[in-house]
Amino acid sequence: MFRLLEESGFSRVRSAVVPRFRFRKAATQDAAEAYGVKAVLMTALKPTAP
Amino acid sequence: MTGVAESQAPLEAVLKDEIIRMYQEVAEQPEGTFHFYHGREAAELFGYSAEWLDRAPAGAVASFAGVGNPHERSQLKPGETVLDLGSGAGLDAIIASWQVGPDGRVIGVDLNPAMCVKAQAHVAATGMQMECREGGMENIPLPDASVDVVISNGVINLSFRKRRVLQEIFRVLRPGGRMSITDIVSAKQLSQSIVNDPKLWAS
Repeated sequence: MFRLLEESGFSRVRSAVVPRFRFRKAATQDAAEAYGVKAVLMTALKPTAP
Repeated sequence: MTGVAESQAPLEAVLKDEIIRMYQEVAEQPEGTFHFYHGREAAELFGYSAEWLDRAPAGAVASFAGVGNPHERSQLKPGETVLDLGSGAGLDAIIASWQVGPDGRVIGVDLNPAMCVKAQAHVAATGMQMECREGGMENIPLPDASVDVVISNGVINLSFRKRRVLQEIFRVLRPGGRMSITDIVSAKQLSQSIVNDPKLWAS
């Protein structure tokens, strides 16, 4: 997603992991961890000039 | 739509129905148990202030199904126009409306017209206003360069066409505008069995 944001024209792309995110069901959380699934907070700016 | 996206079009239609069904279920039966945390429990987990959650209508809080807190970095200012992409039952739109104030504007976009009705009612109950438009995030029903800030919470991951969604966010933002979104990302390519399962994808 980070790369897609930059390729879409955004600048100052920043991301931080949402530390307390997890799935409620243990099986879903286990599968998510196996795939490196995490929640992130992303911010980005649309430049004023192209 | 071309290539892979085109081949996934039938699945995308099924997925859209599943997303509408699942999040409507969260809104109508918030006492239920889902794969994800929701309601006040989730909002508190992600740092939403108790003051916000006490002040917002109980229905909006109970139906919250976000994955983080986009307000943490949104830095909304009075008078700004905010788009809440995938506005659901309206908790994030309510919080945004408090921050932009009466001179600002909050616009929600949601796939499900019933959720738009619910979100607008929740916002109105706080004395604020919100416009909600039925639509998909791949074709945001707003003109170019029409909003200052886009917020979104746990929605973009649901799309098969994330590049298109981000291009749409870029299009509707004014030059100098910004986005603050929380969402789910994966470090590895999901297996085809997950991609092909609308219930897993929607959760």
